[in-house]
Amino acid sequence: MNKFLNGLTQEKIVFLLFVIILVVFSLTLPGFFNAGNLVLLLQGISVLGILGVGLCVVVIGRGIDLSMAATMALSVAWALQLNINGMDLYLALAIGLGAAMLVGLINGVLIAYAEIPPLFATLATGACVYGFGRLVLIHTDLVYVTPSVGNLRFLGQGRILTIPMPVIVFAVIAIIVGLILRYTKFGRFTYAVGDNQETARVTGVSVRHVVLGQYILASSVAFIAGITQAMAVSSMNTRISDSLLIYEVILVVVLGGVGLSGGRGGVRNVIVGTLLIGTFLNGMTIMDVQYTTQNAIKAVILLVAIIADTMVNPRDEQTSQHGDI
Amino acid sequence: MTAALIEVTNLTKEYRGIPAIKNISLKFEAGKVHSILGENGAGKSTLTKMIAGAVQPTRGEILLDGKKTTFPSPGDALKNGIAMVFQETSLVPSLTVAQNLFLGDEKVFNRLRGLYISAQQLLQSLNFPVDPGAQVSSLGSAQRQMVEIARAVRKNARLIIFDEPTATLTPEEKQYFFDLIDRLKLRGVGIIFISHALEEALAVSDTITVLRDGEHIETGPASNFDREKIVRDMVGRDLSSQLYDQETKREARPYGEKVLSVQNLSMGRMVHNTSFSVYSGQITGIFGLIGSGRTESFKVVSGVVKRNFFHGGIVYLRDKLVRFRIPKPAVQQGIAYVTEDRKVEGIFETMSVSESIGIGEMAAAGNKSWFVNRKKMNKSAEYWSKALNIKSIDASSSVLELSGGNQQKVVIAKALVQNPQIIIFDEPTRGVDVGAIAEIHEVIKGLAEQGLAVVVISSYLPEILSLSDRILVSRQGRIVEEFSIEEADEEMIMYAAVH
Repeated sequence: MNKFLNGLTQEKIVFLLFVIILVVFSLTLPGFFNAGNLVLLLQGISVLGILGVGLCVVVIGRGIDLSMAATMALSVAWALQLNINGMDLYLALAIGLGAAMLVGLINGVLIAYAEIPPLFATLATGACVYGFGRLVLIHTDLVYVTPSVGNLRFLGQGRILTIPMPVIVFAVIAIIVGLILRYTKFGRFTYAVGDNQETARVTGVSVRHVVLGQYILASSVAFIAGITQAMAVSSMNTRISDSLLIYEVILVVVLGGVGLSGGRGGVRNVIVGTLLIGTFLNGMTIMDVQYTTQNAIKAVILLVAIIADTMVNPRDEQTSQHGDI
Repeated sequence: MTAALIEVTNLTKEYRGIPAIKNISLKFEAGKVHSILGENGAGKSTLTKMIAGAVQPTRGEILLDGKKTTFPSPGDALKNGIAMVFQETSLVPSLTVAQNLFLGDEKVFNRLRGLYISAQQLLQSLNFPVDPGAQVSSLGSAQRQMVEIARAVRKNARLIIFDEPTATLTPEEKQYFFDLIDRLKLRGVGIIFISHALEEALAVSDTITVLRDGEHIETGPASNFDREKIVRDMVGRDLSSQLYDQETKREARPYGEKVLSVQNLSMGRMVHNTSFSVYSGQITGIFGLIGSGRTESFKVVSGVVKRNFFHGGIVYLRDKLVRFRIPKPAVQQGIAYVTEDRKVEGIFETMSVSESIGIGEMAAAGNKSWFVNRKKMNKSAEYWSKALNIKSIDASSSVLELSGGNQQKVVIAKALVQNPQIIIFDEPTRGVDVGAIAEIHEVIKGLAEQGLAVVVISSYLPEILSLSDRILVSRQGRIVEEFSIEEADEEMIMYAAVH
């Protein structure tokens, strides 16, 4: 029994759950298991998945980035607004990306140099980004995508071989970040810092630079997620900074088995978590479950995922083995 | 003989089957000062913590006034009149003295004025010059200790255990502390005194007990002891020395180049104006008791702790003046530090053997390449696993699954792969099984023979004697004595290390 449990990682459990739910929904829900709905399901979770991939880099480094939703909304809205005001599209996009990276840099400086706990630092920067952006840069809740964006729309609405572009963007980002984590020094150092910051430091890793890199990468990915989202729905609603979006992102990251205690998991875990949540939400929508009920269910799943996470990946091995003294 | 206040019989404490304390039977009397002496790791703290309820014995009995008792927690011990005063005081710094004294016993309607009056009375009765309204954070060490003692007295403690109470005190404060002990004695309070300072123990004690390697060596009235006898009792070894070289009089390896030279280094309260040098091709052993600043000096050198800006000092690496604020540049210039605390700053518990060693290699390589060369990583993991005889299923097995000795070898491999000129081993065999100790010692000797400058910091004398060519003794934050292996023996070193 014990051996069976040891072999069972959170990733496998979640994947198993995903398959079970998929089968149950296919058998019980009319109109669930057909190509059209499954593509819709994937499309619905792509942006969430992209954000999850970005966040997982930070979580592996034992941090968290609550400012991602605000960064995504405001940097993209600003880029669109600049374009509407007549700026060249690519210059506007570059400025938007630059702004997002700046937010990541500020997060990194606050966390690595000022040594503010990531939870508070990014909560504050998220609020600042939204407040500053709405006060100075954007004067409406909604910024619409105008025809001046031209072919960029393809990113949100196009299809390649019947696969919607957002799904492809999700896949590409997942592959890129996965490769970064696995095959670059920055990626390996991110695991090292998340596993044991002190060991990493003594071994000669410049911990602070690695932390900066993590938050900048997360913010850049947030910008890409935002562009994809805006092109898909033809607008960017800055209000999503205030929504539960960021908690859903944390949900897919933690659910898949990226431990909040750092150093564990990877992009694959995020994909598994995203698939489970996507299926679940799609099924509930077909069953016509109310939005508020859906939120409540999501909250319970998040709680269960975090509890499972602390049990599978305890922060302190010693304590988990011997119990608290 | 008066009746014992507390008696322990056949007390044994095992950690994972390894005894830290073996079959100790002792009596502690009221109104007497009983000193417990021994080297680091002799079991002094474990023994007293069991009496104070902080650690539970594996076997054996504790008798309070002749009746068998158990203390499941320090709170229970305190209720029965046994208090322990730790080296680091357990006061709340942001509260006042009076609030600390009555912490946990406040009434529902807690009148501060009443609290201050009772606190004032208590402190006066003990003749402690402490203002009950002062914040604890504003007090000095001695005054904090007074507050702690007053708290113990208020709880009607009949036995107070002091763990290294004088380590942080100035000479004047020490004098005051000893007066205080006398006064407590007059009130009939039994006192257990743990200290590395032998003279103090001799001066203040009625009874002295010496422990060694968890075993009871001798107990007797203080008048039966003198400094020489205590040192002899503390270091005298029989079985445990089998592992180490029997003939300590061996030839030292010749001096190589002077690789590291430290002048007047100071840091905080732990390192005071210390100077020493390290040479290539030989092993420099650093011996000192806990709190003597031996680890801290080398942590400053290797950038692991930042030197306090206001204290300063000079460090030369070969002929270059260096000052490392973080370990990274130290690592890249060839200083590797192998930590004494594997769990905190030695291993990556989620990583495999090869990944751990890979992190070490990449960190030392600097900014030459952005990418991981997995093939090279596995190759060097294979090489080091073989060189250090790391016993794991394969290089991809998790570090956490390895034994203590093999974990330590991974930490050493992680440092060696960085190709250091100076390698600092801090307690290289702590928590390592006997077989692996011999292997690690062979590795350390081999490094010196290859021409590296090797530093071994250890609080275990036989280890120092069997490895070192030169022995530096650290005491009170400073290197105070240097011996060559030809002239050194255990008693001389211990003599220099205690004060």
